[in-house]
Amino acid sequence: MDHDKLLNIAVEMGCQLMASGAEIYRVEESMERLLLAYDLPTAEVFAIPNCIIASVNTPEGHPITRMRRIASHGTDIELLERCNDLCRHLCAELPPLEEAEALVMGLSQCPRRHAPWQVLVGHAIAAAFFAPLFGGGVLDTLGALLGGLGVGICLLYGKRLIGSNTFFRTVICSAIASLLSLFLVRIGLGRSLDTVTISVLMLLVPGVALTNAMREIMAGDVVSGLSRTADAILVAAAIALGSAVGLGIAQLF
Amino acid sequence: MTAFFLTYLLPCACAFLACVGFTLVFNIHGVGKLICGVGGALGWLVYLLWGKTIFAAFLAAAAIGVYSELMARVRRCPVTAYLLVALLPLVPGGGIYYAMRHCVAGENEAFLDTLLHTFGMAAALAVGAMMASSLFRTIYTHLYHRGRRR
Repeated sequence: MDHDKLLNIAVEMGCQLMASGAEIYRVEESMERLLLAYDLPTAEVFAIPNCIIASVNTPEGHPITRMRRIASHGTDIELLERCNDLCRHLCAELPPLEEAEALVMGLSQCPRRHAPWQVLVGHAIAAAFFAPLFGGGVLDTLGALLGGLGVGICLLYGKRLIGSNTFFRTVICSAIASLLSLFLVRIGLGRSLDTVTISVLMLLVPGVALTNAMREIMAGDVVSGLSRTADAILVAAAIALGSAVGLGIAQLF
Repeated sequence: MTAFFLTYLLPCACAFLACVGFTLVFNIHGVGKLICGVGGALGWLVYLLWGKTIFAAFLAAAAIGVYSELMARVRRCPVTAYLLVALLPLVPGGGIYYAMRHCVAGENEAFLDTLLHTFGMAAALAVGAMMASSLFRTIYTHLYHRGRRR
């Protein structure tokens, strides 16, 4: 058996899992299962949020190790579910390596994705329906809808302009959110500035980072858990910084 | 009847729709959308019933944790998706904003008060969901193995 190829397949699978926002234990366990399923005596996998290291011993006693770095990524549940299903399928069926490789390489190509306009609508709907939860009326809902649309556009298309630094991106987006809400409320779309701003800011809150951090700690991966906790706190601080811009300007006029 | 509709049903419907909006952002398809939405509504209902305190957030997160684990077992999918989206309405975005507002206005005491409350909410969410999930798993595996032995 070609152990190099097997290791490459497993690492690619882990990489896709990580890119879809899976927990560390899921990445480690899936890769380990895949490697052991193909009759390797041992398989060691270590992962942290942006790096995977996998090492195997061939039956002849020859060690092979591969390390792969993963760029920052978002959350893509459809990809996660497909990876999970494929891993289960591979471990159960054990197809020839060429076939397995084709399947794993095809993972990122054709999963169902929402079109950009659908994602924008998602942002707008989410922001709009947060307004009643924070005590807003119909007018506030309308304002939050437009604000959410604006922030959605920033998040989706602003990546090239703002850069990929999460902290900085969140500062800019929340500043835009607070300024946009201020503007909307001043022209009469929305009664309460606080409600509209909070509803729009809810699109940026580190709910994902918080949930992930908690799940990592629950699974016993303290290093990854702490790094994600730090991520959540940083994002929260960035939101606070950005919204201060809008608040400061609101005080001036 | 109208009061019941306005205080409980309407907010829950809004939480449902907000969560469905987020499923578009996180690329969740099919029945998953519905499950996430119901999870969000359930969490918000518990939060409202217990009066919007930190303890209410803890209970709501616990309810969402159990619900997501259950749904993940039913659909044989990773839990992450359901937990992630359903917890979002409870994340204290308002707390962050109000804390910053007090900070900018120079009201130090109110600022610290809001900040601590925000941290408390976040911690309650994390601990609540964590405890509920762990407890559910322990009980579930226990029952599952006992069921198999018979």
